[in-house]
Amino acid sequence: MKAAFASLIAGLALLAPAAALAHHSFAAEYDTKKPVTLKGTVTNVEWTNPHARFYLDVKDESGNVNHWNLELASPNVLVRQGWSRHTLKVGDQVTVEGAQAKDGSQMANARTVTLADGKKVFAFSPSDAPAQ
Amino acid sequence: MKYNLTGAGLIEVSLGIAFVFTSVAAAQAPATPPAKSSGLNASESTAPAGGSANPDVARRRPREVAPQGPTPRLPDGHPDLSGVWNGGGPVGDLAQGLAPGETIPILPAAKALMDKRQSKDDPEANCLPTGIPRIAPYPWRIVQTPTHIFFLFEGNIHSFRQILMNGKHPDDPDPTWYGHSIGSWDGDTLVVDTIGFNDKFWFDFRGHPHTEQLHTIERYTRKDLGTLENKVTIIDPGDYSKPFTLTFTARLRPKEELMEYICQENQQDAQHMIGTSGPPQNP
Repeated sequence: MKAAFASLIAGLALLAPAAALAHHSFAAEYDTKKPVTLKGTVTNVEWTNPHARFYLDVKDESGNVNHWNLELASPNVLVRQGWSRHTLKVGDQVTVEGAQAKDGSQMANARTVTLADGKKVFAFSPSDAPAQ
Repeated sequence: MKYNLTGAGLIEVSLGIAFVFTSVAAAQAPATPPAKSSGLNASESTAPAGGSANPDVARRRPREVAPQGPTPRLPDGHPDLSGVWNGGGPVGDLAQGLAPGETIPILPAAKALMDKRQSKDDPEANCLPTGIPRIAPYPWRIVQTPTHIFFLFEGNIHSFRQILMNGKHPDDPDPTWYGHSIGSWDGDTLVVDTIGFNDKFWFDFRGHPHTEQLHTIERYTRKDLGTLENKVTIIDPGDYSKPFTLTFTARLRPKEELMEYICQENQQDAQHMIGTSGPPQNP
């Protein structure tokens, strides 16, 4: 399954058209110098425009729970890449890699979302990174 | 509070497609063979060659597989521009469409306004229309009839442009986001002349401005099955010292259909933006 998925992603990378993010300037909202890795429980999924979002409860080392707001691409972009509104569910334990909002709020753009069993959901190919 | 920081790199969400491009002949078959098929020319890319380190900049991968074939034509002989397209206008920076060595003849006051503009105030970030020639990074469809041509936009916003073929501009049009457009054919090129713009939209993430004097002349040429060139001339003596022309290229997205995209539904971005977009960092 994993291999099949990797093939799909690799295939997408080969065929993906001009890459562009969204309806707004990425640089003005997120700070790529603030990469975050967040491990927690999904508390809500919003399959909405202009971005799909999900919310994560993340425990810090003192046991306090912090609530994070994670941004994905638009549902249309995600669907075209093979994801669906059922891909991520409330209660899933996930690890998110992304970039935090510049304003310091507990909000981030999620680049990869990995389930506890290692399966990646909402991941974008490394080929989406700058020039090959 | 402690989070594990990693060396995650730049985030770039590709406006991807889910499935392999296959034949588009069924939907796009030409009624008559065109005089020639130019094929894709990498130099026509709207984006800087070789990609970009800045996710705000649209880029085209050299290895992208594009649909091949001749320019489709209608029974009346005009090129058939219909189909689902991606790109064809500026996203991050108007200057993406300049020929090498050219610059945008922006007037000092307009430059000062642009430099002052904050990304959070970009109408597009706030789910308002792109105006012209800006394009959102979402697919759009051309619907072509003898009397009207429509550009249907999936995203940002879920709206449309209407081009009246061989129509006439009103004497005093109300200023609007997409203006008043009339179309005509110059050989195989669709010429779209538009006036009657408001001054609210920005040309790009950077905030290149314009005034209500804006007049655009877009020249659309379907170079081959998969390639639609847009050479657009910007005339706005209010903000630019002379007319200038930009070239952008839209790519056909066969097998795709437009999907619903209601930007206002859950917009949470603008309120978190800080500062300007700044110039794209092209490698």
